[in-house]
Amino acid sequence: MTRQTKEETTIENEQPQPAIIIDDDVWEQLIDLTDGAAALCYQCGTCTAACPWGQFTNLDLSVRTFLRQAQIGVFQASEALWLCTTCAQCQPLCPRGVNIVDVFRAIRTLAWQNRTVAEGLPSILWSLYWNDNPWSQPPSQRSAWAGDIAIPQFNAQEHEILLYVGCTSSYDSRAQQIALALVQILRAAGIQFGYLGNLEPCCGEAVLNLGNRPYFEEIRAKTAAVFTQHGVTDLVVISPHCYDVFKNHYNTISKTIQVQHYTQFLTQLLEEGRLRFSRSINKQVTYQDPCYLGRHNAEYAAARTIIDHLPGVEFREMSRNREDGLCCGGGGGRMWLETPAGERFADHRVKEALETKAQILATACPFCAVCLEDSAKNLGQTELEIMDIAELARLGIE
Amino acid sequence: MASSFYGVEDQVQAIWVYLEHRDGSLENVSLEMLSEGRVLADQMGWPLVALLLGHSVENLCQDAFIYGADQVWLAEHKLLENFTIEGYTSAIYQIFLQSKPSVVFLGATHDGRDLAGRLAVRLRTGLNADCTGLRIDPDTGVLICEVSGFGGGVLALIEMQTHRPQMATVRPGVFSMRQTTSTPSKTIIRPTFTIEPEDIYTKYIERIEGDYVDLTGSTVLIAGGRGIDGDFQMLDALAQLLNGEIGATRPPVDDGYIERERQIGQTGVVCSPRLTICCGISGAFHFVVGIEKADTVIAINKDPKAPIFDHADYCIVGDVKQIVPKLIDALKTKV
Repeated sequence: MTRQTKEETTIENEQPQPAIIIDDDVWEQLIDLTDGAAALCYQCGTCTAACPWGQFTNLDLSVRTFLRQAQIGVFQASEALWLCTTCAQCQPLCPRGVNIVDVFRAIRTLAWQNRTVAEGLPSILWSLYWNDNPWSQPPSQRSAWAGDIAIPQFNAQEHEILLYVGCTSSYDSRAQQIALALVQILRAAGIQFGYLGNLEPCCGEAVLNLGNRPYFEEIRAKTAAVFTQHGVTDLVVISPHCYDVFKNHYNTISKTIQVQHYTQFLTQLLEEGRLRFSRSINKQVTYQDPCYLGRHNAEYAAARTIIDHLPGVEFREMSRNREDGLCCGGGGGRMWLETPAGERFADHRVKEALETKAQILATACPFCAVCLEDSAKNLGQTELEIMDIAELARLGIE
Repeated sequence: MASSFYGVEDQVQAIWVYLEHRDGSLENVSLEMLSEGRVLADQMGWPLVALLLGHSVENLCQDAFIYGADQVWLAEHKLLENFTIEGYTSAIYQIFLQSKPSVVFLGATHDGRDLAGRLAVRLRTGLNADCTGLRIDPDTGVLICEVSGFGGGVLALIEMQTHRPQMATVRPGVFSMRQTTSTPSKTIIRPTFTIEPEDIYTKYIERIEGDYVDLTGSTVLIAGGRGIDGDFQMLDALAQLLNGEIGATRPPVDDGYIERERQIGQTGVVCSPRLTICCGISGAFHFVVGIEKADTVIAINKDPKAPIFDHADYCIVGDVKQIVPKLIDALKTKV
């Protein structure tokens, strides 16, 4: 009984809780993690208005609120923090040029420190720790997709490029098809290339964008060392997510290794005349710009050049394209989080593709391919085929 | 490393099983551990001891004997009527310091995991969590626990050399239940222990079982995909005959045919049943991740090229709506 009385007294004397707590340490950490990115923001709210969550769904993501909190040093645990797909739709429209995605990554870093991350996310990191991939798959099976096609282990003396397959294209049965198609194209063009097979390390994209900065740095050091040890100078990657990480977040190797997305490499081969398409496809095609190729790296031309070179293809842009292209919903760790039915970006994207009357919705990212194909199936769309640019380009070779 | 309260010299060679019970009967995992414990006890020539806590639960001892226990240590107390972590930890801790068991198994259930962790810390010993295999080295009496996990990529065999008791939590559904054929001595021992109301901080108000289903512990899983067109009644009939649970891929959940708690896969539940029957499921990667730990997978799909067949032990090409009713009929006649 005494215990109960004590509790009652405490409640009576309790001061009202402040609405927000401004914390200098949080503020300093956020400045440090983002190079003060949020300081530029003058709270116009264009970001919130541009955010696809607000535009297309009933879930709220007030981007501006997060920027404000970062400016003044407030951290509040929030489910909305994990909605951000890091699609960067908000960034090209920001009148102050704030690197908003970086701010979200930094706030997520604080969430890891405060142990307030969304359910299920720690197991992704554990999977990386134990399996070197975020998909809880055995490392010994990483190269199983290439079982019958005998890709040689990379050798810097013999090979022009290292083909970096990435975790999703290694394990996801849908995305494996992209890797297989690309291998066929590279062979048709006579490219000497190798891969790292089961030794291929993860780039750490999921960890970076989920905001566990310290662990990302660990992965980066390990993975960079593998590339250095193998004497890699030219890296061609399948996923725009890996591409962005290697190009923009691997400061240690980005000076010595040329990183290309495979669409860029294929474009180069087309321009050099080493790759030629001879088979006519006779289809109407539209194209989904992957966020990490487009908005994050301003690469809008490569995939369109490839489509342009394909005989018989009639290209049709969706109304939202390039900087305005809508994210598939799979970035920023959302591939591992559930989005309620009816709130998925990919559903909208499929509908936008249908409006063009195209028969093929092409993309150049494993996450996009998986999400869009899922949505097309869910919407009962059997006429619209989801293809990766590599799969589309394969149709053009003999 | 600190040494445990008692070590190899002081241990009493015996296999102890902590019994969990609910609504007047022992939980399956407890019977599974007794069955497996009996095998190990016979190999080693050690006694199999069951530890039962509660209030007026003596009638449960009989079941423990049927499933192979030689002795039941029965700790009855009004304060142990409901599971509280403080009360149960305190009582078992006192009992173990008297009995000094060499090997202790607890079920890897919510309560079992909670209790095992606390006890291990209090006894300054180790704990092998969520074991799927158990052996005892006949020469040294050292317990060898098999712990699988991390996507099936790693299988670890863990031994505890010097710390006692050698504690393990055992994953439910891994071992089968077997009633014993031998006639054990059937001794009931009532240990002394003290427990005071002020030791227990948890206030027990009411036990409410939510609608929440936990598929992670089910031994038989009947999963339905887009191909069953929302006919989960059919799957439920099959599940009941096989004493299983029903699960689903994402599309039926999205369409509202079944609750989200039953979604299997990367963004749903990852489960490890002994048997999974995949009905009308194409086998998208993010679903397959959820059943990879299943022992046996049977897939029924009308498309012979469906990727699910790459992950199945038995592949049935055909219309799920014809095959499942026939399966139900066949099982009914057999039962």
